[in-house]
Parts: sequence; C-alpha cells; structure tokens
Amino acid sequence: MKDSIIITKNLSHIYQTNQSGSLQKAALLDINLEIAQGSCVGIIGITGSGKSTLVQHFNGLLRPTSGTVIVNDIDVSAKNADLALLRQRVGMLFQFPEAQLFERTVYADVAFGPRRMKLSRHEIRTRVLNALDMVGLPHREFAQRPPFELSGGQMRRVALAGVLAMSPAFLVLDEPTVGLDADVRAEFYSYLQRIKQEKEVTIVLVSHDMAEVATLADWLFVLHDGRLVMQGTPRSIYTQGDTLRKWGLAAPPLSELLTLLRKKGLAIPEDVFMLEEAFTLLQRRPFISSPTNNSG
Amino acid sequence: MNHPPLIDIQHINYIYPARNTRTGEMQSITALQDVSLQVQQGEYLVLLGHNGSGKSTLARNCNALLTPTSGRVLVAGLDTSEKANQRTIRDMVGMIFQNPDNQIIATVVEDDIAWALTVRGMPVSLINERVSSAMEAVGIVHLRGLPPHRLSGGQRQRLAIAGVLALRPQCIIADEPTAQLDPLSRAGVVSLLHQLNQQHGITIIQVTHLLEEAALAQRIIIMEQGKLVMEGTPSSIFANLEQLRQLKLAIPEPIELVARLRNVGIPLSPEALTVEAIAQEIMP
Repeated sequence: MKDSIIITKNLSHIYQTNQSGSLQKAALLDINLEIAQGSCVGIIGITGSGKSTLVQHFNGLLRPTSGTVIVNDIDVSAKNADLALLRQRVGMLFQFPEAQLFERTVYADVAFGPRRMKLSRHEIRTRVLNALDMVGLPHREFAQRPPFELSGGQMRRVALAGVLAMSPAFLVLDEPTVGLDADVRAEFYSYLQRIKQEKEVTIVLVSHDMAEVATLADWLFVLHDGRLVMQGTPRSIYTQGDTLRKWGLAAPPLSELLTLLRKKGLAIPEDVFMLEEAFTLLQRRPFISSPTNNSG
Repeated sequence: MNHPPLIDIQHINYIYPARNTRTGEMQSITALQDVSLQVQQGEYLVLLGHNGSGKSTLARNCNALLTPTSGRVLVAGLDTSEKANQRTIRDMVGMIFQNPDNQIIATVVEDDIAWALTVRGMPVSLINERVSSAMEAVGIVHLRGLPPHRLSGGQRQRLAIAGVLALRPQCIIADEPTAQLDPLSRAGVVSLLHQLNQQHGITIIQVTHLLEEAALAQRIIIMEQGKLVMEGTPSSIFANLEQLRQLKLAIPEPIELVARLRNVGIPLSPEALTVEAIAQEIMP
C-alpha cells in the first residue's frame, strides 16, 4: 500500500442534543481507516449514517470528540493544528456547490481561493486558466462570462475549478452530482476521471448511490449508524447485495442482476461488475439458453 | 374504453412571466405547449422527463394547483379553471411531493392524517375509521402515536400518502416522491403506489426522471421542452434506447445489457424490464 494521506484512529464524534449535555448522540463511533495517496475512495451510506460528519473532520470543520485524525501529516485533533494550511491542502466541494458562486465573472470566482493564498498575479492567472481548461470550460470562451448565466452542470464545474485552482493534495466531493440530469452527470464524472488521471490528487467521493461511484472509486468505505461496517474494492462490495440491504443500501442494478444469475447457477466470476465485462461473458452462447427453450 | 377519461387535458398551453437575469426585462416562458392527454380511471401512468422538461407543470395542471393559460383540463367532467370546481377536484385528485415535510403539519401521526377530514367537518367516527384504514393501507399503523419528526424519510412519505388517501381520492399524483429517499425506501414507496393502484383501484400519475421507476407502469409519457414526445407501454418505450438517450434519460445498465445481447442475436423478450424478469429471461 502506498503512503496514507488520511489516517483516522478510534475517531468518535458525539453531538450533545440538549444544553445540559445529558442527551448525547454518537454521530461517529470508533472509526479506523486509511486512505492511500493518489487513490479515489467512495464513502457510502444512507442519510444519517455519518458520512458528511466524517469528511468534515478531513478539513477541520469538525474536531473529533476522541481519537485522532491525521491529514497530510497535520494532526487535525491537536488544539494548535494549522487549519489554514490544512484547508489549502484539502479542497472541499459541498452539495449544490453552485450556490457558493458569487463573483461577477467566472475568472474572478475561480481566482478567489488563490488570491487568498497570496500568490503572485502571474501564478494566480496560470492556475485559474489551467483549472478552467481542466473542467472543460475553455478560458477563452468562459473566463469573462458571469457564472450565473451558465447551465447547472457548468456552474458546478466552475465551483470545482475554484477548488482545483488551490492545488489541493486531495479533493472531497459531497454528493457532487445530486439533482443533475443523466447526461450532465456523466459529463461531470468524465472530467473528474481526467483530474484523477492527470493530477496527483487523492479523491474522496461521498454518495448514497453505489452505481454513481462504481466507475471512479478503487476503494469503498460503507458507513452505517456512525460505524464503519464494510470496506473493500467495488468488485468485492457489490457481490454482497444481501448484506448491503441490511444497511438500507443497494448494489448497482447490474450487480443485482449478476447476483441473481449466479444464484440460478450461471458461472459468472464473482468479480465481474461492469457492463462491458458482463456483455462479453454473456454473449457466449453456452451461457444463454437456446431459442428452442423460449416459449416466446 | 368508452368511459369518459378521469382527467381530460385538451390542447393546453402554460405560460408564465419571468425576469431575464441579464437584461432585467420581463419575458414569457412557455412551460407547456399544446399538450393533450387523457388519463383513464384506474390507470398507472408515469410522466418521465429530465429537469425542466415540464413534467411537474403538467402534473400540477391535473388537479387545479395550476390552471392552463389556454386550452382546458376536465377532471371527471369538471373544468379546473372554474373556481367553484377546484375544491371538489382537489379532493378527487390528491398530490404528494418530493419533500413530505411540506405537507405534514400535525405533531402526531394520527392527527396529521385526520387533519384534512377534521377541517371538512366530518363526524368523529367516520374520521377514526378513515384514518385507521389509511394507516393500514400504507403500513404505518405501528407509528400512529409518534411525532412525524421521529419517522424516517420513507415513513414520512408514507404518512403524506396516508393523509391524501384519507380523503378517498380517485387519483393520486406523486411528483418525484422518491427523489429524497435512500434506494430501499425508494423501492418501498414505488411498490406502495402500485399496491394502491391494484388493490384499491386508485389512478396513479407518477412523475419521475428515472427510467427504472417506470418499468412497471401501464403507460409512459415522456416530455421534452414542454411537449409530449413519446407515449407507449414500457416495452415499446424501452425498445428505443437511442431516442431515450437523446432525451437525456439514463438507461439502466441491465436494460442496456439486454439490448446489446439482443443485437448479437440472442432472443430476449422486450417485456423483461425489471432485474428479476431479465434474470428469468436469461436463465429460465
């Protein structure tokens, strides 16, 4: 395993639900995990499972009640942690990030973060233009336009560019495609794929949708009721549909289909879960019952 | 098929004014353009389309929440534009929304379901009977004494449905009822709508942008830019994946797999649209 960029040890986070502190709710309980540098991981769980609470520890928005969180060699749990430095290294994109756009031009909006980092004018310019090109908004065409005239998908990519321009060591994306149409969603993911390949950046994707992270993530963490209940490669997780259902989750529909076919005795290897693989395998005749069996 | 339709939409347009963000001038947005549609009593209809295609606007025109700019909508023969008809129409055609919290008002589950009946001045014995049967129909009897905020998202959506059901509507319009739910609660709410349709004969109009939620409908209508662009049974709609893609709808992977297998000459029925049916088709 490569070096870990994030390590949590016995991380717990307890909320007090009344003023005297006598009523408490554990949002996170004893989480131990490591995220490898340069990887793309998915954090999966239903609403209320603790996934947003967890990632808010990664940039110091929340501090652990007990346990430690080390991010990029910074101990977030320490009282004197350098949160300003931490937040430069951790780019965070919240749900509906287009709501955070506020400048008059796309350029100014993306430049906001780098300006706060007190970079040279030249450096800011280079970073902004690169970030815009990276998310498929060529700067010649988009830099001077008001962000609010863009489509929903484009606005989200402006927000992503704003995070990228700070050259973070890793990106945390909280349900980044909620509310987008299918084609726009696929487009957003294609740019994310490109960022993953071209930049040496670690990506943390938060989602309740297994299918959504299927193509991008190489490791998944499943949270339920504040606990880390399962982790592994998507391939290994998707074959455990029955277990996932206990936690209110569902494997992607194609994995569900393949699981059903395996139960019916079809010899499909456990690790097949992509459309292309399934097609290649199933189109071989012996797999499919002959037409004479088909009453039609 | 000679029954008059429950909902009869005749050549409606729906136009609303909006301010242009750049110029600041007022302009007209056409959300629905010459839409005609008949919904039969007892039907299960799915209205599909991507964001902004006009499907919610059309749904809101079905129970007089909105009334058409031109053309007319008749519900059981009553014109929705007539103010005097609107109360009757909304009792006949109930509506639930994305966020159940928008229509939950009381502090206890039972009271919330009883609310609409109470304001209509029904006798207590009748209210009790209807509240009980509505709770039973949606499976929340065990939650009757709880405050709504203690319920899960899926349970609150069931509560919202029960509130509508207590009025004994002929039709329920569900506008993206699963959009804020987790996958399992999502499947639960859709199967509840089917159950209400089959066991109680309630007409259902379900609005969604997810093809997989449309697989079990009797009829699918697809909207794009305020117009009806496709109409048919699920198997006929799913037979044209290329056109669905152009309409910006995500094709479920199992459906895509079946289409590709069929393309290379493997005979698979176009009627198989759910994961279970497809598995059965591949391995009878």
